[in-house]
Amino acid sequence: MLDADRLEILTESAKYDVSCSSSGSNRVNGNRGLGNASVGGICHSFTPDGRCISLLKILMSNECIYDCEYCPNRKSADVRRARISPDEICELVINFYRRNYIEGLFLSSAVFETPNRTMELLCETVTKLRKVYNFNGYIHLKGIPHADEELTFKAARLADRMSYNIELPSEQSLKLLAPQKTKQSLLLPMKSLRDAMIYDRENKIKINRVLPAGQTTQMIIGASPESDGQILKLTEALYRNMGLKRVYYSSYIPVVKSNKLPDTATGLLREHRLYQADWLIRYYGFDVDEIVGEDENLSSEYDPKCAWALRNMQLFPVEVNTAPLSTLLRVPGIGAKSAYKIIETRKFCKIDFDNLAKMRIVLKRAKHFITCNGKFYGSESLSQVKTSLLLAGRSEVTEQLNMFSETSTALSALTGEI
Amino acid sequence: MKIFVCDGSFDGFFTAVFDAYSDKNCIITSDNEVQLTLDSVLVQVETNREKSNRVKKGIEKYDKESVYDTELVLRSCSSLKEQIAFEYIKRLLATKSPIKNAYNLPEVIDFNDLTYKVKGETHRLKGFLRFMESASGVLYAPYTPDNDITDLLMPHFAERLKSERFVIHDLKRKIAGLYDGHEWIMSYAGEAEVYLSEYEKAFETLWKKYYIAVNIAERPHEKQMRGYMPVRYWKHLPEKKP
Repeated sequence: MLDADRLEILTESAKYDVSCSSSGSNRVNGNRGLGNASVGGICHSFTPDGRCISLLKILMSNECIYDCEYCPNRKSADVRRARISPDEICELVINFYRRNYIEGLFLSSAVFETPNRTMELLCETVTKLRKVYNFNGYIHLKGIPHADEELTFKAARLADRMSYNIELPSEQSLKLLAPQKTKQSLLLPMKSLRDAMIYDRENKIKINRVLPAGQTTQMIIGASPESDGQILKLTEALYRNMGLKRVYYSSYIPVVKSNKLPDTATGLLREHRLYQADWLIRYYGFDVDEIVGEDENLSSEYDPKCAWALRNMQLFPVEVNTAPLSTLLRVPGIGAKSAYKIIETRKFCKIDFDNLAKMRIVLKRAKHFITCNGKFYGSESLSQVKTSLLLAGRSEVTEQLNMFSETSTALSALTGEI
Repeated sequence: MKIFVCDGSFDGFFTAVFDAYSDKNCIITSDNEVQLTLDSVLVQVETNREKSNRVKKGIEKYDKESVYDTELVLRSCSSLKEQIAFEYIKRLLATKSPIKNAYNLPEVIDFNDLTYKVKGETHRLKGFLRFMESASGVLYAPYTPDNDITDLLMPHFAERLKSERFVIHDLKRKIAGLYDGHEWIMSYAGEAEVYLSEYEKAFETLWKKYYIAVNIAERPHEKQMRGYMPVRYWKHLPEKKP
């Protein structure tokens, strides 16, 4: 059985990866095996840092042949090294899953020996889980750049989700900070997996379908000079052209002394704003150009939807009883759930402010941008609106930053994996 | 005012709705210690399948999901659950079409609050339930949910632990769901004595180790942890025990 020491080393090396989601797959338990997937995902525990545990997130090894500037597990770093075998991983996954500790496995690795050797062992682990242990729970696998396509596809037909981390938001930065990885080594496998997923979908392939829960990626924010506009343009392309399910951001914290890296941490507010903008692109029908210009950064004072609304006051206020869904979604303070509730409720009655409050729709922002039956309860002047929105935003931002109160002592938000 | 007291079963409630429906001003409850006012009269409801089915058919005619939703509400720990379900049914029968999205109606808001809580706890416990392996290989999960949700959890775990045998034990209500590797049933269950398998401690220890290692100690945010994972669930989580 796996010993506690190696479990500790390989978990600590994996814990900075942001993604822990177990959603998006509908894998069924068809062979009287163990486990199935739950489309919405399930959180099994929460750690004192407020994050959820859904998957057993672990590296197969943290022995790396690469020497990426920012990575705590880079070749030249002096850290404890460990490796676990496919069988040890399988045993742990099966026994954790049976006890309902986890929803599945998030397996990643540093690149040891060669990329192909690393990918082979990741593949072997997933194959054993699926074929020997009849495990149908969720598996998220990191892709290893420069590994053969054949191996990648073998893994992709058994895993639910894969991710290649693009690491840095531009090719120049990648060249500077992670010279052993190239843009092509990350984008080519993503593209061929995307094409295979489209093929499977169009041909209604059900058995061993490529990545039922799709692909995701992660990039570091603030280690390199790209603007928010550039980052979001890239994000938009990754969603619309590469068909990714999620793009994760992780704000840069200096742990490694290097003249190629900044010595100050990127504020977590920036990461927060990027996620807000990311949501607007995916669920609220916004284009990046509406949110931020190519060379610009997002406002730190207002959330991106408020900032957009303040630039477009001529469009407001909108009447909640008649506005179409796409318009309601653009009102600051009204989220997707609230918009849906409004649409449903107005089939039954004329909505007034009292109804909105009872529907638990938060009005501190929205009231400046809506009318109910022609009535307006917001502030009349733009400067008053701005003050009120600033106040509404400030408490939230303070809360958000409290979450990461001691960032100066924090280790890198980066991972030892690709 | 009449107070209809039913036995706490679904059929008992629907029978009470049948008996109470024509009474404009009455209360339905399963709480035997209901507070009586001066003018109140207790009526014991005798559960009757036929009456119950007629009510179910009657409300399903206007909203196919209404029986399922009502049964969710009846699993709630609220002492007002029968009354809230009754008000909702009266409104549904008066409207004669689905009302579940009419967020302007107080009956609907109260009713949806309870379905939301019951569904929410069921989802949470799909994650927070913890099995331990007994010496005989049967997996055993004791827990104390707010609402009566064991039979909602059983299909979920029977599907994923298909060839295992397991027990989900609601210690508060003294009931358990039992799965034998093929079918599940609900049963009465008082105290249980469980002999653990020889590997149980080892995996529990690894899990606790993992829980500590995966946390980013430099970024504490306990408030958020408690928000997502309320303290009342901790007593059955090995990772939260010393």
